[in-house]
Amino acid sequence: MSKENNNLCEESYFSEFYIKNVQSATNFAYYKSGDSDAALDLVQDAFAKIWENCSQIDFTKVKTYLFTTVNNLFLNTIKHQKVVIDFAKETPYLDRTNQSPEYLLEEEEFKHVLQKAIASLSEAQREVFLMNRIDGKKYREIADLLGISQKAVEKRMSGALKILKEQIENI
Amino acid sequence: MKKEKEILKWLNGELSSKEIEDLKQSEDFETLEKIAHYSAHLATPKVDAQQALTALKNRKLTKKEPNVRTLHFRQIFKVAAVITVLLTSAYFLFYNTNQSFETGIAQTKSFQLPDHSEVLLNASSKITFNEKNWDEKRDLTLEGEAYFQVQKGKTFSVKTADGVVKVLGTHFDVKQRNNYYEVSCYEGLVSVTYNNNTVKLPPGKTFRVINKQIEKTDDFDAETPSWLQKESSFTRIPLNQVIAELERQYDIKIETQDVDTSKLFTGSFTHTNQKIALEAITIPLQLSYKIKGKTVIFYKYEGQ
Repeated sequence: MSKENNNLCEESYFSEFYIKNVQSATNFAYYKSGDSDAALDLVQDAFAKIWENCSQIDFTKVKTYLFTTVNNLFLNTIKHQKVVIDFAKETPYLDRTNQSPEYLLEEEEFKHVLQKAIASLSEAQREVFLMNRIDGKKYREIADLLGISQKAVEKRMSGALKILKEQIENI
Repeated sequence: MKKEKEILKWLNGELSSKEIEDLKQSEDFETLEKIAHYSAHLATPKVDAQQALTALKNRKLTKKEPNVRTLHFRQIFKVAAVITVLLTSAYFLFYNTNQSFETGIAQTKSFQLPDHSEVLLNASSKITFNEKNWDEKRDLTLEGEAYFQVQKGKTFSVKTADGVVKVLGTHFDVKQRNNYYEVSCYEGLVSVTYNNNTVKLPPGKTFRVINKQIEKTDDFDAETPSWLQKESSFTRIPLNQVIAELERQYDIKIETQDVDTSKLFTGSFTHTNQKIALEAITIPLQLSYKIKGKTVIFYKYEGQ
C-alpha cells in the first residue's frame, strides 16, 4: 500500500490519475454548482490538495478522496443556488425518423420541462441521477465515489425518477 | 412507481433486450424513456485535461512531507557503542584497579607495591593485585617466580596455583612453575600452605614440591636468590626443570636425545652468556649439545 502511495507522489503517476478523472470530477462539481467555471476551480483545488498530501492518502481510496474533497470545497465556498443544466446543442430526438413539426415542438417542450424538473431535484438526487445518465456510471461506482452504499444510490435514483415523472406528467 | 426494480436495473444497464421489451409494455414507460434519453444529453463543461493539468502544475504546489520519522538504527548503534566504550573505560579507570606486571623470556622487572614492599619478577612471570584494596588486604597472585621484600604490616599473601604463602614482613622467594613449587625464606618467617598443610620456614630454609612430591631440601646461606645476580642455582633438581629455566632465561628451545631428564642436577648457570650457561649444564652431566637456529639439542656425549 505504501508503495502505491508513493506512486501518487510521482509526477507521472499523478498526471495519469489527473487526466483520467478530471472530467468526471468536474461534471460532479457542475451538477452541484451549475457553474462550469466554478466547477473546474473546485476540482483544481481538490487535485492540489491530493498532490500536497499525496504521501498520506490511501491509494485505493484516492478517487473517493477526490469526490469528497470536491463536495467539501463546494459546501465551503459556493452558495446554494438553483442549478439549471443546459442541453447539448445537438441533442438527438428520441424518434429520429419522425421529423413532423408537431413532434419536434412536443419534444422541445418536454426537454424544457425536464430541465426544470432536474433543477428542482435535491442536490443528492441530482448528482446521482446525472452521474448515471450523463457520465454513464453504474450505481456501484457512484456509491464508491460518494462513499455511500449502493442501496443509498438506488434510493436517490428512484426518488429522482419519481419527482421527474410527477413533474412532467402534471403539465 | 410500478416495476421500480426493473426500471433501476434498466438505467444501470442490467436488463437483457427481452426484459427491456417487457418493460416497454408497462404504461408509464414512454415518459421514463424520454427522461432517460434526454437527460443523457444534458451538457457538461468540457475540460481540456492537459491544459488544466498544466495550469495546476503552474500553481507551484509543494508536497507536504509526511510526518514519519525514520528510526536511525545505525545512529543508535553508534551512540550505544560510544557509551559502552566510555562506561567500560571508566570502569577500568576508576573502579577496577587490578594492576598487573608481566615479564617475557629473559626479562626481569622490579617494582614497588603500594606499601613500598619490593617485588622482583623473574623471567616469564606475572603478578596481579588489587591496588585499591591493598591497604586492607595485601593479596597478590603470582604465576612464575618472584622475590619479595615485604614491609612489616598486615598479612601479606602470595597466591599461586600450587599454594599460598603468608608472611607479615620478610624477604622470600616464590617459584611456581610447571610441576614445580618452591618457597625460600631469606629473612623473618614465612608460612607456606600446600594441600591444606602449613609449614613455617625460618631464614635459610626452602620448601619445594616437584611433581607433587615434597622434596627434602638443604639449608642455604645466601642472602638473596641467585637469579638476582643473573644466575640460576640448583641443588639436586631434575634436569627437565633446569632446562625449563634455561628456556626462560634464553630465548631458545631445548630438545633432548636419549637423555634421562629426570637426572638430578646440582650447579648453576649464568643469564648473561648462553655458551657458558649451556656448558655449565651439559659438561657436569656428561652431555654435549648442538645448536640449530633457536633450537639446542642435548645428547649423550658417550654415544659419540
